[in-house]
Amino acid sequence: MNKSERQSKSQYQIAWEQFRRHKIALWGLAILGIMYFLTIFAGFVAPYGLNEYRRFPVTAFRPPTKIHWINPETGKLTRPFVYDTKDERDPVTRQRVYKEDTSKTYPIKFFVKRPEASYKILGIWRSDVHLFGVDEPARIFLWGTNNLGKDIFSRVLYGGQVSLVIGILAVWVSLLLGLFFGGIAGYYGGWVDDIIMRLVEVLDAIPGLFLLIVLASLLRDPRNPIAQTFGLKMTSSDIFLMVVIVLGFVGWGGLARTIRSFLLTLREMDYTYAAKALGAGDTRIIWQHLLPGTASFLIVTITLAIPGFILAETGLSLIGLGPSEVDSASWGMLLRDATARGLSIQFVPWLLIPGIPIFLAILSWNLVGDGLRDAFDPRKRK
Amino acid sequence: MLQYIIRRFFYLIPTFIGATFLAFLITQLVPGDFCDQKALEANVRPETIARCKARYGTEDPFITKYVRWMGDLLRGDLGDSFASNQPVSNVIRRPIYNSMILVIFSLILLYLFAIPLGVFSAVRQYSVADQTVSAFSYFGLAIPNFFFALVLILALFLLRGFTRDNFGYNELILPVAQMTSSGFEQMSSWAKIKDILWHAILPAFVIATGGIAGLTRVLRAQMIEFLQSDFIRTARAKGLDDRSVTYKHALRPAIIPFVAGIGGLLPGLISGGGLVEVVMSWPGITPVLLESLGRQDIYVVLGFTIISVILLMIGNLISDILLAVVDPRIRYS
Repeated sequence: MNKSERQSKSQYQIAWEQFRRHKIALWGLAILGIMYFLTIFAGFVAPYGLNEYRRFPVTAFRPPTKIHWINPETGKLTRPFVYDTKDERDPVTRQRVYKEDTSKTYPIKFFVKRPEASYKILGIWRSDVHLFGVDEPARIFLWGTNNLGKDIFSRVLYGGQVSLVIGILAVWVSLLLGLFFGGIAGYYGGWVDDIIMRLVEVLDAIPGLFLLIVLASLLRDPRNPIAQTFGLKMTSSDIFLMVVIVLGFVGWGGLARTIRSFLLTLREMDYTYAAKALGAGDTRIIWQHLLPGTASFLIVTITLAIPGFILAETGLSLIGLGPSEVDSASWGMLLRDATARGLSIQFVPWLLIPGIPIFLAILSWNLVGDGLRDAFDPRKRK
Repeated sequence: MLQYIIRRFFYLIPTFIGATFLAFLITQLVPGDFCDQKALEANVRPETIARCKARYGTEDPFITKYVRWMGDLLRGDLGDSFASNQPVSNVIRRPIYNSMILVIFSLILLYLFAIPLGVFSAVRQYSVADQTVSAFSYFGLAIPNFFFALVLILALFLLRGFTRDNFGYNELILPVAQMTSSGFEQMSSWAKIKDILWHAILPAFVIATGGIAGLTRVLRAQMIEFLQSDFIRTARAKGLDDRSVTYKHALRPAIIPFVAGIGGLLPGLISGGGLVEVVMSWPGITPVLLESLGRQDIYVVLGFTIISVILLMIGNLISDILLAVVDPRIRYS
């Protein structure tokens, strides 16, 4: 018998084994993996830059570019190509209609250099090589374009850098506040507990969306106290930070409450009494005995909280209270183009595409969270 | 019981005061007010601005403003709207009614769909039907309701295209925007009610989706737990048929927390409805709130916040009382 067989498995090894058997949760994890990967390499995968558009020829509201596989002359399978697009006026309705100009084919090329759309990966490596592209003057818009003629496919990829990241950042703000207030309320009890729990109740008494909207709209103002204190000019990165803070602030109450009730149970455990009897101080008990006990619970809570933050951010962006629209995009912002079209959405249905990644991200985080919860739950072990 | 209700009621007072204070504090975070915005307009004399400031007391210290506002509030006066020059209560009444129509309608839809679906799933645990319902509930929980609204609008237009080409029927089967049809003013009052409800179907359904999905899942889990418990076995052993076991013995205890929890659902529905109102141009609270925020018309913003805090508290009180009615253990603790 070797050493590793004699050692018993840790809680996390068991949980991982359980999680691996959870098919649906693994699907969620895979989708998330792909989405975050694409987000990191957004600049490379996106054929165009975030705000790149041309005034002429007109590219506004172009439908998704058709990709052809059959050579029109020989009728045989060929490397994928696209046609350039001409715009014409419909003789009856005077609406602009786009037609394919089939006189020349433009094959899709891979690893094209486009200096006009250079990007940085993770803010470090600068490059202007793109995964695919076509020669000018043809353009390839996989998911169509918006009212300004910007490529929605590229914008969705860049949008992940806001929508997928903001949820994770906001959850940390919430967690810090929740751990701090929930922790001291649950551990010390008494009047500290009373005051903190009243505060959480007060926060709870104001409907979440109201608090979110009011705070987000006030904290965008450069005259707000946080900006004044830290001398922020409310550039787009400052606004991003404010949105993170607002989201985290609105969400911490629930976290604090669950952490508190969990600590109240742990505090009454025999091992906590034993530690106390052995003369351990508060700090040691909290760090060595109570917090490790909450770790698995926290992992599950965080995972299930992230989709809520993603939803809240897209909602705020939808009404124009999210991160700055100047040099970033978020999926909510992109959907705003669709709501702005109102009832003519039937003519530009591709504007709804940015809603799909929102749905997928929320769904996958939920699936992974549910899987983790089951994996950590001894009663559900198989 | 009465004693419990009175105790719960007094318990709400500090929370209410705290919430009003917090709301007031937040709206005062940013300096500047409606009068300052007015100063940006062309041809405004400094005296007009000064009169505006004096009239609304916008330069007073924070505490003075809070005490004045709170005093008015206790007398039932929500203050004046700067922008529209009339009492806040006049400005916010219609949007609140309109939002409540949606909230109540979606609450009805919520129970109407979730309870049968939850029971249906639970009695067929792990069957194809059960898994379909589960898949739909994951879908319903994950789709943002503003996006769902847009998708349904698109779907209805595509359907219209289909019926036009095949049956010559060139109408949307449900209205997708606004609360009333044109010519609403000339309708009889019965026709008006019908018209509003007709317009409310789609937004109310969209608002309810997330709740339906969540409730179905929880009810299913509860039912499964009860169906495996001892008293159900006893009931079956007595020779009761399946129907009566499912509906009389298992559903009743499983459903109690939901019926009692009706108040807890209200805030979620009020909040959740907001973006759908914006997307489907329903003249409810959120669109007007956004407009007032843009104009720094803070007493309107505060008015909406306070009314929704009160609605939320009433909702919570009702659910506490209902829970106490069904569960004697709560009453006496």
